[in-house]
Amino acid sequence: MILSFETWQITIFSLSVGLASTLLILPFGIALAWLFARKEWPLKSVLETIVLLPLVMPPVSTGLVLLKIFGRRSPLGQWLYERGIEIVFNWKGVLIAMAVMSFPLLVRSVRTSFAEVDPRLEQIAATLGASSLRVLFVITIPLAYKGIVAGALLAFSRALGEFGATILLAGNIPGETQTLSLAIYNFVQLGKDPEAYRLLGITVALAFLFVWSSEWLLRSARKV
Amino acid sequence: MLLRCRIALANFEINVDASFDAGVTSIFGPSGSGKTTILDAIAGLRNVMEGEIEINGRTLFSSMRGINLSPHQRFVGYVPQEGALFPHLSVRKNVLFGADRTTDGSDPKVISADHVLDVLDIANLLDRPVTKLSGGEAQRVALARAILSRPQLLLLDEPLAALDVGLKERILPYLGRVRDEFSIPMIYVTHNLTEVLTLAGWVLMIRQGRLLAQGIPREVLRSPQAMMQISQAQFENVFAVSFVESDRSAGRTKVRLESGQELFIPYFPQWQNRSLQIRISADDILLSTQLPEGISAGNVLPGVIKGIELFDGQAIVTVAAGAEFYVRVTASAVSRLRLAEHAPVFLIMKTRSFGLLS
Repeated sequence: MILSFETWQITIFSLSVGLASTLLILPFGIALAWLFARKEWPLKSVLETIVLLPLVMPPVSTGLVLLKIFGRRSPLGQWLYERGIEIVFNWKGVLIAMAVMSFPLLVRSVRTSFAEVDPRLEQIAATLGASSLRVLFVITIPLAYKGIVAGALLAFSRALGEFGATILLAGNIPGETQTLSLAIYNFVQLGKDPEAYRLLGITVALAFLFVWSSEWLLRSARKV
Repeated sequence: MLLRCRIALANFEINVDASFDAGVTSIFGPSGSGKTTILDAIAGLRNVMEGEIEINGRTLFSSMRGINLSPHQRFVGYVPQEGALFPHLSVRKNVLFGADRTTDGSDPKVISADHVLDVLDIANLLDRPVTKLSGGEAQRVALARAILSRPQLLLLDEPLAALDVGLKERILPYLGRVRDEFSIPMIYVTHNLTEVLTLAGWVLMIRQGRLLAQGIPREVLRSPQAMMQISQAQFENVFAVSFVESDRSAGRTKVRLESGQELFIPYFPQWQNRSLQIRISADDILLSTQLPEGISAGNVLPGVIKGIELFDGQAIVTVAAGAEFYVRVTASAVSRLRLAEHAPVFLIMKTRSFGLLS
């Protein structure tokens, strides 16, 4: 199967924005997951629920919320626009939509792997003179890294599949904001079924690869 | 070394005010009596409602003065029951985990890693993954790791409890060596009387979070409270001895107590090591008021009764016969033989009733 330039362009665009979005949310996701797994504070559950919302809300609703937040008529959108940054209807919109939609999956997955690290090991590391930061980077994260990588893979897969929030925030502009999912929708609408099936094949292959390796990582992490 | 701590927890309060020379203080009590809680509180791993914890005049915690050092500032080494080695690091990295710790300069003694590895006999394990260690090896690695983090106090939480008896017999002498080689005070939690008698210079008896008694082990163990626990526990005599000679065909080895008395124990090969410890259960020693004849037991020692503690139908008879032997008999035996303090008796001990600790 020979892929057209257009197909390549769409695939590479999706993969690179998806990757950027995953890298963008990774540090925040790890930090938040650690707080959720190890710290207690008042109204913690409220924050946990808010973080999980994009997972269960209709993606289009999330997209609408994002549009309201980043649109040029909102204070934030206005502020960004004055500094020459526009989020809506370009690749940055795709990035934001992917990041927000995949964030809950990352946090959930990393949180679980942090919770599986024996707190006794962290305590003993502290008695040996390690500060909280050193404990986190030398004990907790290394022991949870497979879960973190699996979570990142899951988030990446979710980002690639993003549709609803993206189409509202970034539109469906060929060559500019068109991701794999958006392009499939587009081709089907236009009756270009062969192109749609080609992209479908790519998404199935990618999804399989990522979910399979994520599961494999989680299984091997439990064995240790 | 001064340890003052008053720890008020949700369900009980623990009060310990002890001063001891750089030796081993044992916290002795049954499971669930709050022993691990005390260690966690001293190490700063558990919230203490109120109280003070002070080591050598250095305050680790004081609810009155609002001091609560975090665990990494306390310089308290902790060897938990399960060892808690870091599974993703090699033995070497585990051992050296706290070794680069910066101190405030108040601690003049520097303990070299080589010395610790040598004393605990783990130098050959350094490149192994942690998961490939036996229980006893893992305990020694955890101990080395704690010692090298330059602690001012070492906390040991029943380091032998998780191991079967065979391994236990091999790690006990290492603890004695640590005590003798590095002058780090230790608090040693156990519910095993043998370990208290072998290692500790001071004992705190705990039951349900309350301090029942404290003092020198052999004295505290005469108290009625101690008797109550001893009556339920296995009770062993432990002696330091030196090797004299071994006779394989006779099946026995001759050893000598510090006082000069000689004992026969089951055969083992020639021994050059510095320390040798043997043990015999208090239940495996017979008392006789006359010199017994025509018996198979290889050891008959004359002695004098120094004390008799009766409790719950049992009697712990302390006999001075070179060393102090504890003998557990029934109350009936005491009355039948008319045992009394200062009375001369003979101790009868089968060669095969002795075991080797080191």
